[in-house]
Amino acid sequence: MPKFDVSKRDLERLVGKEFTVEEWEDLFLYAKCELDDVWEENGEIYFKADSKDTNRPDLWSAEGIARQIRWALGFRRGLPEYEVEKSDVTVYVDEKLKDIRPYGVYAIVECLKLDEEALKQMINLQEKVALTFGRRRREVAIGIFDFDKVKPPIYYRAAEKTEKFVPLGFEEELTLEEILEKHEKGREYGHLIKDKPYYPLLVDSEGKVLSMPPIINSETTGRVTTETRNVFVDVTGWDLNKVMLALNVVVTALAERGGRIKSVKVVYPDFEIETPNLTPKSFEVELDYIRKLAGLDLSDGEIKDLLERMMYDVTLEDGKAKLLYPAFRDDIMHARDVLEDVLIAYGYNEIEPEEPKLAVQGRGDKFIEFEDAVRELMVGFGLQEVMTFNLTNREAQYGKMNLEYGRDYFNNPPAELVEIENPISPKWSALRNWLLPSLLDFLSQNTHEEYPQRLFEVGKATLIDESRETKTVSESKLAVVLAQPRVTFTDTKEILDSVMRHLGFEYELEEVEHPSFIPGRVGKVIVKGKAIGVIGEIHPSVLEKWGIEMPVAGFELFLRPLYTEPYL
Amino acid sequence: MELSYQEKLTLIKLNELKRAKFEELVKATGLEQVAVMRAVLGLQAKGLAKLHERSEKVVKLTETGKKYAEIGLPEWRALKLLRERGKVTLDDLREVLSDDELKPIVGLLRKEGWASVRKEDGKLILEITEKGLEAEERPIDRALKLLAEKNVVPVKEIEKLIPVKELKRRKIGEEETVTERTVEITPAGEELAPKVELKREVSVLTPELIKSGKWREVEFRRFDIKAPVRRIYPGKKQPYRAFLDKIRRRLIEMGFIEMTVDSLIETQFWNFDALFQPQNHPAREWTDTYQLKYPKSGFLPEEELVERVKTAHERGLAGSRGWGYVWSPERAMLLMPRAHGTALSGRQLAKGVEIPGKYFTIQRVFRPDVLDRTHLIEFNQIDGFVVGEELNFRHLLGILKRFAVEIAGAKKVKFLPDYYPFTEPSVQMSAYHPELGWVEFGGAGIFREEMTKALGIEVPVIAWGIGIDRLAMFKLGIDDIRYLFSYDLRWLREAKLVW
Repeated sequence: MPKFDVSKRDLERLVGKEFTVEEWEDLFLYAKCELDDVWEENGEIYFKADSKDTNRPDLWSAEGIARQIRWALGFRRGLPEYEVEKSDVTVYVDEKLKDIRPYGVYAIVECLKLDEEALKQMINLQEKVALTFGRRRREVAIGIFDFDKVKPPIYYRAAEKTEKFVPLGFEEELTLEEILEKHEKGREYGHLIKDKPYYPLLVDSEGKVLSMPPIINSETTGRVTTETRNVFVDVTGWDLNKVMLALNVVVTALAERGGRIKSVKVVYPDFEIETPNLTPKSFEVELDYIRKLAGLDLSDGEIKDLLERMMYDVTLEDGKAKLLYPAFRDDIMHARDVLEDVLIAYGYNEIEPEEPKLAVQGRGDKFIEFEDAVRELMVGFGLQEVMTFNLTNREAQYGKMNLEYGRDYFNNPPAELVEIENPISPKWSALRNWLLPSLLDFLSQNTHEEYPQRLFEVGKATLIDESRETKTVSESKLAVVLAQPRVTFTDTKEILDSVMRHLGFEYELEEVEHPSFIPGRVGKVIVKGKAIGVIGEIHPSVLEKWGIEMPVAGFELFLRPLYTEPYL
Repeated sequence: MELSYQEKLTLIKLNELKRAKFEELVKATGLEQVAVMRAVLGLQAKGLAKLHERSEKVVKLTETGKKYAEIGLPEWRALKLLRERGKVTLDDLREVLSDDELKPIVGLLRKEGWASVRKEDGKLILEITEKGLEAEERPIDRALKLLAEKNVVPVKEIEKLIPVKELKRRKIGEEETVTERTVEITPAGEELAPKVELKREVSVLTPELIKSGKWREVEFRRFDIKAPVRRIYPGKKQPYRAFLDKIRRRLIEMGFIEMTVDSLIETQFWNFDALFQPQNHPAREWTDTYQLKYPKSGFLPEEELVERVKTAHERGLAGSRGWGYVWSPERAMLLMPRAHGTALSGRQLAKGVEIPGKYFTIQRVFRPDVLDRTHLIEFNQIDGFVVGEELNFRHLLGILKRFAVEIAGAKKVKFLPDYYPFTEPSVQMSAYHPELGWVEFGGAGIFREEMTKALGIEVPVIAWGIGIDRLAMFKLGIDDIRYLFSYDLRWLREAKLVW
């Protein structure tokens, strides 16, 4: 899902080998990425990487892709190791942040030499992790600071809204409240803290502001450039596991660039932790399970080899693999997740597809076959089939049809519509509960086209039914319209009559009042004593509302009552 | 020599007349003028007749001339009144003359010397003269009579009476060039004519002709089979729907059982939760998932099933650690228009399946997208699953490849790792279409055990979906996805048949 740009040169520098574009296309697959696009810019080749896995933020940057490929190619094996040295830096977390944004975790990365490309990747990773993994910063927000401008210890505290600092990209101080209103990022992410009594603030021992998580860094410390050597990383959120993981993803990516990781002591009101924690995680799988589901005849050693190429440490024991995997991953819930890694390392395109031999017989749904037979019949009348949208709106279904919402017209239409709370457009804010308005809509868009226009549709009308699991039912209906000069009720009744004879049903028409139709030229279609449809000449005032200047007659029927179980 | 019916008839009549004006020949044959002309030209080409053409200047009556021929020239009408009353005022002449005839009448009568004119009390008085009383037919009157009789008179003949320009000035006559056509039979024609056997020609074979057996005595007019015809439109199926019908039939042939459901509306439980998609998954956010205003929530299925799904999410099932959050039944009850066909697979698995078994559905699904050239607000999805004791990843690839071959006509396929919340491992397939190149054609995976165990299935289930929109667009020759649900009748009428 996350997409980002990487430079071929940068990737090759990280992997330590050059490849052709075609080779890169295949190599990307090891990192669960698709190479979406290739282009040249200022003499450099760039790739658009489309990372498939929303649970693998460690693969969302050039560093992550390069790392996975180095392992897959066997340049490195087993668990990646990162040295973490303890620093003497402490961060104190304010108790009052408990209901505001409770967790912050931190790290220092030293001795960096970031060129423009590396800097771009760092910013990209930070953004993508916060956006996708961090649910638009709600669950994870990341700040990276020039550590040389910061005087520890550092405080993550709840601040009054009137406190001030200069946000990134500004020249003057703004109050925290002003930042939410005036700064672009404040407007974008302000809703995450707006209603809280205090706003979160990260400050150093001299009171200098580093950032206002999860909104914006300060101009003073929050600007990282190619000159920056040492950075301080801050990750905040609501779930300690999640922020720890994001921190691990960011610091190990920087370590791939030659950075040296130093941990920080984080003091919470009721406990203390040292972050980042890069201790590998463990898991265990049955080798037979892997072999069986892979469908591949893999020896224990082969499985071990494949897993080592996916950055696992593997110990084989009693038909099981005891695994250690890197702390920047948190997606292994089940042996299946390990299985997928084995298959990716093996290469999906190296596996011979095999069609399963199953003694089964196919069968279509009988009611759908009945609908198809009705459609054949309608085509036989010379009618053009159309397929229209179910999404519509109340005005189209009632207002433009001269009907009153809330009144039942013997289910054609019923009194109420299924309506959408958060439609993309008011035009598509309900599911239709009868079909004739859809066909009138169609006619209204073709007034310039040659008449006669004779149409039908077999489609769904969605009705409320409180007794069902979804409180709704989508009934199959047949609707017909004839738009042509001198068309009358009789023309449409001829078709209805023929349909009924062909389906083997006796029917009656009962005179009825229905404001969509011309009085005296509208009927309720009754089969076995029940109203199953409506037929009539569309009222000229309805035609006028749709902008149709041609007489229209038509009918609409529920198909379910006309269905009989076939012998075959 | 092959002669048409018209040619035969014309030749026979011409043989009687030997030489005739074209109009006479037309009359004699009783055919349309054009038909006779075509026949004459045909006969001439075959050396059976000869057409002579001579152009001549003629005079014809104008509309005014025709009127005068009927009611008389204005000066005669005025004179008649004068003869009755001796003298009249100019106003009196209105009884017999129209406004535009009134003005020049004084000049005319004076010129002929038929009346004297004087003023009395400021009024013009006309009084008849001797000459007026004795006046007789003049050349112009004879010319008018001649034209009235013959309609068209050669200029030469008129000029014997009166200069043509005089008739033009009075707007009685106009000059025209006419071509006089004379047709003559040749000796070859004379020789052939008696041997020609003539049958009646008909353009339509009528039931009467068949019943009476008269069809034996007629000839059928030859049609111009290359002439253009009216464009007509048959009743036919919507092309995209016909394409879906075809895929449906193919899937049934391939051994798949069709799944259906009673509503386009789904609970989040079946759309997401039963598929092990956590409640905080980004796809479940407000912007990516529709919610209903009315009705808001539906019901959850049987308690045991709900309990298993809840456990799978919260603590894990089947050796999984789960998502580790507190699962909300209220959230799962929320209703939405169904967002993917996989929801039906979940329902079917919970309901019970044949093992081994293959299942599919073609479902209308809804996503909060804007309608444009590349996005639809609702669309059709084709997906399903294959369930069986011994199924593995190679089978998954095999199923996908078969779809590519059967449905996309692909010769080559390529597999890419992919991610779906409810499958692991997951695959995306690209198929090499002869005209489109590599097309993303489908996705598949083995349903996660957390999901299948919760639904009560103990064996592997391969889930698959195929993306047929690009293929359909290619098949239907469109580059705007909205045409799949076309509201353009012209396009539907012209669309090629899908089979």
